[in-house]
Amino acid sequence: MAISFTLNGKAQSVDVSPDMPLLWVLRDTLNMTGTKFGCGMALCGACTVHINGEASRSCITAISSVAGKKITTIEGLSADGSHPVQQAWMEEDVPQCGYCQSGQIMSAVALLSKKPNPTDADIDDAMSGNICRCGTYQRIRKAIHRAASMHAGQTKSAA
Amino acid sequence: MRSTVSRRVFLKTSAVAGASLVVSFYLPDSRANLADSLGASFAPNAYLELDPGGQIKIWCARSEFGQGVRTSLPMLVAEELGCDWARVTVVQGDLDARFGDQTTGGSYSVRGSYADLRKAGAAAREMLLAAAAAQWNVSPSECPAENSFVLHPPTHRKLAFEKLLPAASAQKPPADPPLKKPSEFTLIGKPTRRTDTKAKITGAAQFGIDTRIPGMLVASIERCPVYGGTPRRFNADKLKSMPGVRAVLEVPAIHLTHQFGEVSGPGSRNFSCSGVAVVADSTWASLQARKVLEVEWSETDFAKESTDSLREQLAALTTRPAAFIRNDGDFDKAHAAATTQIEATYEVPFLAHAAMEPVNCAAHVRGDSCELWAPTQIPGAAADAVAKALNISRNRIQVHVTFIGGAFGRRLIQDYAVEAALLSRAVQAPVQLICTREDDIHHDFYRPAARHVFRAGLDDQKNLVSWLHRAASPSIGQFYSGTGISANAAAEVNGPDFPAFGVPNFRLEFAVAQSGMPLGYWRSVENSGNGFAISSFLDEAAHAAGRDPVEFLLAVLGPARKIDLGRDRAAIDVARRRRVIELAAEKAGWGQSLPKGAGRGIAAYFGYGSYVAQVAELSCDLSSGSIRIHRVVCAIDCGTAINPRGVEAQMQSAINFGLAQTLKSEITVSNGRVNQSNFHDYEVLRMNDAPPAIDVYIVQSTDPPGGCGEPGVPPTAPAVGNAIFAATGKRIRRLPIRAADLRPA
Repeated sequence: MAISFTLNGKAQSVDVSPDMPLLWVLRDTLNMTGTKFGCGMALCGACTVHINGEASRSCITAISSVAGKKITTIEGLSADGSHPVQQAWMEEDVPQCGYCQSGQIMSAVALLSKKPNPTDADIDDAMSGNICRCGTYQRIRKAIHRAASMHAGQTKSAA
Repeated sequence: MRSTVSRRVFLKTSAVAGASLVVSFYLPDSRANLADSLGASFAPNAYLELDPGGQIKIWCARSEFGQGVRTSLPMLVAEELGCDWARVTVVQGDLDARFGDQTTGGSYSVRGSYADLRKAGAAAREMLLAAAAAQWNVSPSECPAENSFVLHPPTHRKLAFEKLLPAASAQKPPADPPLKKPSEFTLIGKPTRRTDTKAKITGAAQFGIDTRIPGMLVASIERCPVYGGTPRRFNADKLKSMPGVRAVLEVPAIHLTHQFGEVSGPGSRNFSCSGVAVVADSTWASLQARKVLEVEWSETDFAKESTDSLREQLAALTTRPAAFIRNDGDFDKAHAAATTQIEATYEVPFLAHAAMEPVNCAAHVRGDSCELWAPTQIPGAAADAVAKALNISRNRIQVHVTFIGGAFGRRLIQDYAVEAALLSRAVQAPVQLICTREDDIHHDFYRPAARHVFRAGLDDQKNLVSWLHRAASPSIGQFYSGTGISANAAAEVNGPDFPAFGVPNFRLEFAVAQSGMPLGYWRSVENSGNGFAISSFLDEAAHAAGRDPVEFLLAVLGPARKIDLGRDRAAIDVARRRRVIELAAEKAGWGQSLPKGAGRGIAAYFGYGSYVAQVAELSCDLSSGSIRIHRVVCAIDCGTAINPRGVEAQMQSAINFGLAQTLKSEITVSNGRVNQSNFHDYEVLRMNDAPPAIDVYIVQSTDPPGGCGEPGVPPTAPAVGNAIFAATGKRIRRLPIRAADLRPA
């Protein structure tokens, strides 16, 4: 049975097993590979997307549960990397291997939408579910503060 | 694209490249002539191409997994070419014999390419200068290149590179073009942003796992939980009736061919772990079917091994003298005569790599050819291994080198490329092999666990006069090369010759432990554990002497001098060793008072051609056993820092990686089975553990570049352990640090 939702501002319908995680629908069914597989158990945050504006781990989110909801992925954050959080990531030269960064950015955007000027403690709370094995944490912190100073929290994501 | 076509043609016709570590050269190739005949681009060698629009492509012939080679290596070419960096596009070099086997490891990419990549750029520059000089009828020696122009300062004339392409292509490539002096560098040494960031913040970067081929199937493999075990029978028929399942196949153990040129001998165990592959239409279908898969395994004797049994073995091995690896002076005599004698034992566990991108590879076998999309550190070894496993010619194998989501040494081993290729051939379709996180952690090639026993003696002047380091661990060298080659086993303590040369009576001993665990190279390899043990015990010696640890370290190093190690090894430059220690101490405010419960610790490490010292500053809460790291100060002398921004990133990365092994990570074994499975029980560093500040200071130098990926890892754990001692009086002798280690006894 087809399941319909809004993906990066556009209507999307998929006909897959209802228990298939959103992550694999994005990656395998829709070939949108910006959202990453890291653990499959919501332990690493690489698969983070926004569901109705909330940072969510797509690897444990059954596709049936997102019917009718608005989903934003890294591909939908901006057409060209111009979202203030992406710009801050560019300025601070954050990524190393880069594999976790889609998830990091999606978590950071969600944090800034709730707390436009987060403290380091707020960042620890919001970002500790996103593992970066290259250890870019110090630059992520700087980039979030930089994005805050660019008023990233006032920018709505595409969905 | 013409260049793409010519590269493909080349691949099909090239001879097989031998495996070697030193690989880059810049042989002019047929593309130069081709460009001339087409009157189009200027492609004087394998590394670069200028097009008539003024855009420059530079090929990166190493794998990018975070260390920044797609930025630092092209900078070397661009510096000598004299081009406008803003117009450079970096192209990943797929496997190509002109690049050698493209080994990316040993913190060697920049070190190993420094001369050749600069020559590649310089050769092109000389051809452009000659073309411009001919047009102006002046001497090329009067014409510098700058910002994509050739200049003639005496007459204030200039010509854009792109106006010179046909004429430059007609020039003979110089065999030994002159290189710039360090004082002439405009790009090398300039903090430069990475070239791959935009792709990585938009989700556009294509990692191995992102490979999508029309008709591609996805496979995952259930392996025997006991390494070396094999499937006896499994319920293939039941799985085949599940939606999306295409095939259920036994996958044999793969013989792991060379990674760093190892040669297998008797007793080597270098096989991957066999299992049962489920090939399906999608990743989810494969993973769902594995939940239903039932396999009866034939286990091996490794099922008798546990972490406790290995610890007992290591303890037994270190109670008696082992093989002497180094023996200066007379330890026994000097130690017996020492005024103060101390002794301590250190332990480190097995560790998994746990790169964020789980191990994967896509392969498409068609007849006697194979195309790989491989997140690999050695594209050449992947081709070798697949050629051997499929019994096809190596030059029928094409390897696309993808972005890699972390490697840390895991992707030096090519098991997954071979498995993907075997599965593709078996099902006659492109196959992407994916490991789950559980597969990745259960079936890694682990950093060996080790035990280090130390004895040290001080004379009545509180000088270090005797030092015994007796280490025991399973051996990576023996895992790959067999028991017959003892020198390979000793590689576990090769390390940095430290603190030898500073202690008159120094003995290093090593005993090989027998273990069934598969072993591999983990960021900084043996130095990751040895650095912790050695630098922690040096700190113990400093405190036993009642001396300041920084002053004591400098005293052990001795006066600035060069120590010749003979053979093909670089001399030890004691001045450089001293300088990083002094710089880290100074920048960390060493000696300044700290609140109660807080402390600083220092440790240094010298290897991979670089010199690193770190000071950790932290506070401890003894009742909860919690540690708060406030700051790590790092001083590095890596010779010429090609991209200081990248060097800083690598030090921050290495320190956070080092903190993970210090505070979090441990692989344990019960009944031959790895107990950990995912990030809840194999913990790594997270944002809330990461120090607020990691301050990196780079020594200004025009010495040849050293490595940066690994040498920042070894000093971190001992700097933290030594800081904990300064803060609490508790000595950390086992990693990872447990809360109980800090609580009152």
